[in-house]
Amino acid sequence: MSHLALNRVSKKFGARKILDDISFEMKRGETLVVFGPSGVGKTTLLRAISGIMDPDEGDVLLNGRSVMDKGPETRGVAMAFQNFALYPHMTATENIASPLRSRGVSESEIQSKVKEVAKLLRIDHVLSHLPRQLSNGQKQRTSLARSLVHNPEVLLLDDPLRNVDAKVRYEMRLELPRLFKRFQTTVIYVTQDYKEAMALGDRCGVLLDGRFQQLDTPAQVYRHPKDTRVANLFGDPPINLVPTRPSKMPDGSLHTNLAGHEMAMPDARHEWAGRDCLIGLRPEHIALHATPQPGAMQVELEAVTPFSVRNVMLLRAPDGTEILASTPEDHPLHNARGQQRVWASIDMKRALVFDRQTGASLLAA
Amino acid sequence: MEHVLLAPPRRKVNRQVWLPYLLSLPALLTCIGILVPFVTAVIYSLQRYNLSFPDARAFIWFGNYLDFLTEDAFWNTVRISLLYAVLTVGVQLLLGLGIALLLQRRSKVNNAMSVLLIMPLMVAPAIASLMWKLMTNPNFGVLNYLLTVMGIHDFGWASSPNTALFTVVLVDTWVYTPFIIILLLAGLRALPRQPFEAAELDGVPPTFIFFRITLPMLMPYILTASLFRMLDSIQQFDIIYSMTQGGPGDTLTVFQVQAYLQAFSFSNIGKSAALVMILWAITYALSTVFIKQWLKLRAKARGAA
Amino acid sequence: MNSTVVFKGLRGLALIAVGLFFLFPILWVVLMSFMTNADILRSPPSPFFAPTLDNYRGLISGNLDSGTGALTTDYMHNLFNSFVLSAASVIISLLLGVPAAYAFARFKFRLGEDMAFTLLSFKFAPPILVLLPLQLYFQDIGLYDTYFGLIWVYQLITMPLILWIVRGYFEDISPDIEAAFRLDGHSWVKSFLKIAVPLAGPGIAAAGLLAFIFAWNNFVFALILGSSSVQPVTVGALAFITASGIQYGVIAAALVLSVLPTLALALYAQKYLVEGLSLGAVKG
Repeated sequence: MSHLALNRVSKKFGARKILDDISFEMKRGETLVVFGPSGVGKTTLLRAISGIMDPDEGDVLLNGRSVMDKGPETRGVAMAFQNFALYPHMTATENIASPLRSRGVSESEIQSKVKEVAKLLRIDHVLSHLPRQLSNGQKQRTSLARSLVHNPEVLLLDDPLRNVDAKVRYEMRLELPRLFKRFQTTVIYVTQDYKEAMALGDRCGVLLDGRFQQLDTPAQVYRHPKDTRVANLFGDPPINLVPTRPSKMPDGSLHTNLAGHEMAMPDARHEWAGRDCLIGLRPEHIALHATPQPGAMQVELEAVTPFSVRNVMLLRAPDGTEILASTPEDHPLHNARGQQRVWASIDMKRALVFDRQTGASLLAA
Repeated sequence: MEHVLLAPPRRKVNRQVWLPYLLSLPALLTCIGILVPFVTAVIYSLQRYNLSFPDARAFIWFGNYLDFLTEDAFWNTVRISLLYAVLTVGVQLLLGLGIALLLQRRSKVNNAMSVLLIMPLMVAPAIASLMWKLMTNPNFGVLNYLLTVMGIHDFGWASSPNTALFTVVLVDTWVYTPFIIILLLAGLRALPRQPFEAAELDGVPPTFIFFRITLPMLMPYILTASLFRMLDSIQQFDIIYSMTQGGPGDTLTVFQVQAYLQAFSFSNIGKSAALVMILWAITYALSTVFIKQWLKLRAKARGAA
Repeated sequence: MNSTVVFKGLRGLALIAVGLFFLFPILWVVLMSFMTNADILRSPPSPFFAPTLDNYRGLISGNLDSGTGALTTDYMHNLFNSFVLSAASVIISLLLGVPAAYAFARFKFRLGEDMAFTLLSFKFAPPILVLLPLQLYFQDIGLYDTYFGLIWVYQLITMPLILWIVRGYFEDISPDIEAAFRLDGHSWVKSFLKIAVPLAGPGIAAAGLLAFIFAWNNFVFALILGSSSVQPVTVGALAFITASGIQYGVIAAALVLSVLPTLALALYAQKYLVEGLSLGAVKG
């Protein structure tokens, strides 16, 4: 039996259907990342599950039983908000103790439990502070402590690392999976950052147009995106989408003119011939060389931008198309500036193919 | 991994639909408490109704209103009320704006002054009238003495038809200018700094800054303050009644004072109700304009916040 | 440099003139309240005199010494009435109005918007419109000249004020905070009492303060719907001043006593007052 399940949940705001017939199941202890651009309805989904908001239609089930007749205070679902939502007039201790107070836990047990979870989240030294005296990182941990202290069945996290600085974000990305495992909570984690999705999720659901366009392990979403939008969102720098029309060669294989460069397409299917396609090339799958290589495309290297531990290179293909390539920090060309002729090896085996009209992946089984 | 778990979804029923209605019951009762007498007043205004002649009570529909059209006393009331409203709002606006500009910079003196200036507003207008009555008493009033020193003798203040209006306008100004000061001061302090800094850098003369930058930006606050005060002034009762009960003669028989006299001195309920209805029509029109303006101002302040 | 000095001087003069105009009347009446009749009638009037407490003593005890003999007064009863009417009205308005304001703020329901509009538009309506019929009704049902009747009618002054100001403060509380509290397992009643009300505290205080002052300063309601037993100081003072034989110093003392509470409140809580008075120019 599933732990948490949604059955055909829908919600309209005015004319717009924010949640459109969403259904999914989760096992106990699973972490599901809900991923999507801002405004797409991720927070709405969390509100519907937690009971803060009632959907127009559909059911939310916990352990197989519907919880729709229960208000947020009795569902057993905890939520950590993006803006922390700490009670400004209460100390951190009181904030964290709040879920225990509503359950009539004894005072001594409250104190020990609060201390325990505060230690776990390393905020035990600021427990007597008011929220306005805490840093954003500490506020986020307090918010998390509050949602974990009573061992909830389900934990909903609304982009908790969004308002937190980069260093803390990096630390939390390592800590959170350990916390989830320790408390064995079923977690839904909302984020716009695909790297978080890849780091934290057992599964990742890409929310677009009110539905999960793809619900799969993060690795699968990355390697086999269902359509161009998913491919675009799940990658940084974004995937290169090059329009092209493959043609059949006399020997039966497919070739295509890729941005002005003739390329063979191994592993291609013959039904793609003559079809308007978009070839998806992830920047990290383009290798750059200073000297000509067999099969490599001749491009103009126009600009180099450092990008954390990698470099993003702006290339101009023979037909003028702009292509982004991502290379390691210490790549020989990383000091190159301005116009320079280089050669790009494109691994067509890892290229993605989409239909130009619909954007749907043509690689789907 | 999507599959249908149960039967198709069912429509949810909104929990606690009744809660907001229960909570707002007192507000609802207050509304009723206003509307019932209101309707009664409308009915009275359409009747010939005098408590001294209870048998003659009957519906004469718009008779009261039509009678007003040819009645000198009515037009006197209209004239005095409008004059009072225009004078008070005009004077208070100018005075209030000037003082607000004087106090706009935050300093110990200015802040202390702002606090002290609230005091007249906290005095009941009826009591304020009595205070000024004491100060203008012909026998011992300190103001009379000061006037005598300046060469003006026998200034009538509220007892003389020539100076009665001046006197009550003075009291009204004393009480209500602080309100305008508070509002305009809040407005001045909420204005963005950039236009003024830019103007200073460009060497723009102060008069230009005032008329072309400050004033236009302050306009919403000025309009709000004026409308609010105008609504208040045209129905002023406390100050005038306390001072002279409408006298001397009929010099100060503004709408509400006249209505009061009609109802409680002459027992003419029908006529009194009709008079207040006319006043209500005026204030309703004005308040609709005011509410729209105030909501706009609030939205703007919210957006900036 | 010279023009700045002149400018500063002018500014200073203007400030003094303004201060004088607005504060002099209050100061003078206070002075008068400590003067004997002889001092008051002396010409030219002088701020230097030997103060006396006789005026206040007379007022408080109820026994006045007039030129023509002894008089009794019940002015202290008027003061008491003012307290009772204002305090009771505000307390009732707060108890009923704060939850109502919460409902208006948190729940968007159509009747609520209609009610808000009615209350607001009648806030500016002439009082006599409502008071005239009410007086006739009250006489019929025996509520004329009673605390009960007057306190309920005072709600027409205090309730809309509290609803309007407090609703704005509730609206300013992030709904997420209350949602988080509900998710912690607390009912909406707890959320209202432990989160909404404390966080809106300053607004509730400001509204209550303003409502008290407005109720205290009210004149026409008590004039029309009340008589000697429930008369507040605003009406009582007028009767006092028109009564014959009362010494001017005593009148001044009566006026001082009638404005003392509101002035003291205003000084003590001026921050709250200015916030509430600014008509929501900032908060609404």
